[in-house]
Amino acid sequence: MSEHVVVAPLVVALVTAILTLGVRRYPRTQRTISLLGIGAYAVAVITLASRVVPLGVLTGGGGTTETLTYQLSNWPAPFGISLVADALSVFMLVLAVLVVVPALVFSVLYIEEFGQRISYHALFHFMLAGVSGSFLTGDIFNLFVWFEVMLMPSYVLVVFYGRAKHTRAALQYTVLNLLGSAVMLVAIGGIYATMGTLNMADLARRLAHAGEYGINPAPVLGLGAILFAVFALKAGIVPFQFWVPAAYRAAPAPIAAVMAGVTKKVGIYAIIRLLFTVFGAATLESELGFGMAGTSFLGLFGPVLFLMAIGSIFLGGLGAVSRNDLDNVLAYSSIGQVGFIVLALALAATGEGTVRTVGLIAALIYSLNHAIAKSLLFLVSGTVYEAVGSIRFDALGGLSTKRPVIAGSFFLGGIALVGIPPLTGFFGKLLVFDTAGKAIVAGEPFAEVALAVALAGAILTIAYFSRAWNRAFWGTPSEPVTRSYQPTTMVVLVGAFALLVVVLGIGFDPVYRAADAAAHAATEWETYVEAVGPEVIE
Amino acid sequence: MSGTVLRTVPSTIASTSAGGEASGQPQVILAVVLGLLFALGTFLVLRKDVVRVVWGVTIISQAANVYLVTMGGLRGSVPILSHGGAHGAVTDPLVQALVLTAIVIGFGTTAFALVLTYRVYEEHGTIDLSEVNER
Repeated sequence: MSEHVVVAPLVVALVTAILTLGVRRYPRTQRTISLLGIGAYAVAVITLASRVVPLGVLTGGGGTTETLTYQLSNWPAPFGISLVADALSVFMLVLAVLVVVPALVFSVLYIEEFGQRISYHALFHFMLAGVSGSFLTGDIFNLFVWFEVMLMPSYVLVVFYGRAKHTRAALQYTVLNLLGSAVMLVAIGGIYATMGTLNMADLARRLAHAGEYGINPAPVLGLGAILFAVFALKAGIVPFQFWVPAAYRAAPAPIAAVMAGVTKKVGIYAIIRLLFTVFGAATLESELGFGMAGTSFLGLFGPVLFLMAIGSIFLGGLGAVSRNDLDNVLAYSSIGQVGFIVLALALAATGEGTVRTVGLIAALIYSLNHAIAKSLLFLVSGTVYEAVGSIRFDALGGLSTKRPVIAGSFFLGGIALVGIPPLTGFFGKLLVFDTAGKAIVAGEPFAEVALAVALAGAILTIAYFSRAWNRAFWGTPSEPVTRSYQPTTMVVLVGAFALLVVVLGIGFDPVYRAADAAAHAATEWETYVEAVGPEVIE
Repeated sequence: MSGTVLRTVPSTIASTSAGGEASGQPQVILAVVLGLLFALGTFLVLRKDVVRVVWGVTIISQAANVYLVTMGGLRGSVPILSHGGAHGAVTDPLVQALVLTAIVIGFGTTAFALVLTYRVYEEHGTIDLSEVNER
């Protein structure tokens, strides 16, 4: 029962990438193909999404979500590679579409002609293929491969401008991620040796019935922790955050938007998939004997997630308050914002029942909000650079009087992150607080601390955004700002993207229902296993 | 683990490690080799010279590949099911397929990392990391 629609986003992205390489002598054709390709990608994802999560589910009119699978070359499940599109994968894919479409259109206007012709479009689409593959795959080794497909173009895109600071940032980024990949391979090898399978559904089932399969799940806890560390590196969570600011500053603005908006979320997605689906029913057996017998894996990961979240929120927040240019503030801010996502995940991991579901919904909504708002802000930063020639606060000032649309877009992105109703950020924050509240009622440990951290983080967010706003957009226009020009098309694009943030906030109900379906898809591992249907091997 | 010895690997490995008496157990030897490889890789990654760092990373990713092969459990001779039919246990072919994929990826990333090193040298005039980071 292979559904070809599952593989469609991947094929579209790969074909577009290759086509843009083929026609690079004809820049106009290349740009046209690239833009058509991203349109086709959006259509493919939306078609897939409408099959998995029917419209009725989004409007509350009834209907059930499905889990579609595609077995490569028709090999049955645990032997071949499975691609799985459930509500969670589809949610992340739609999130990616919302970011990459404006980012690519912006790139066509922003990246200089020569750079576009050489490699930019191909790299962009290869990266997109890697992202889609990571969201769709149902096999951990294949996940490694898609990670690499996603990372390799991103190395090149970080070093895209090729000057001193870019090569330095790219070197750091590349070496770190290569080490991460090696460590991921080690974890995968270990999991294969102890579990005898790499299929996520098969893993989930074997971990759930460890006794029947004669497996000791204890080594998998450690190996899973190694995998988790690699995913945290991709997501830029403290203590793996140090590559983030340099890489985001070196990358071209639309790429920084995609990296902060989408590739970070690949890390978050992988963490959710691993902890909540694969380890969903895994518990430690008694013989380990640290007094942890019968503890679920999730319960053990909870406190770790919690510490990482606190670290990220404070490090990101405090870092962003003291930076002196737009990109730097945004980069540190994205460390802090991912901290909020992880905080919700930590509460979901330690919680049970509704706390777990609400926590996951909060994490997903927050991811969506962060993806859109942060990439909007990076695009605004790119537009400011194009218009003024600098994004340093000491060169900016008074943009709100000279360039009201740019300033307005920044303001919308900013208050979406701060969480002012009716923007999506408000619901994201509200749900994080709601989860913490529910966790306190359920008597979970750390829940009060989580609430306090979330509050402090929210205050930090307000602090660094009002500071950025004061320094760059308010006041009397500075010398470079008065000399600035209006890059009209870019401004229109950024303004339209800003409106999308508002629209998603006002029409929030379908977004919430989609996140709800995704959260259930993440936790209901039985449905996932059943859909993939790995054969039982002795 | 059955008593069959993997024929090709230990003869070369035994000369580099101390494993004279352990030669009947490829996995023990491989474990020692893995330890040495990871140690060497880590040592190189911590150097100041960018080229050494890149080599360190390369060695670590190759060590990960060796680790993958080892994790497949070296039970039999070759990972082929029927080639003439006269075989006992076979080694798990899956890990070998995984390693092939990983080697190809490693090849690409190593090439990129080396080119990047050259660009770092062009831009900074040095491959000393402490000097690269100062500017």
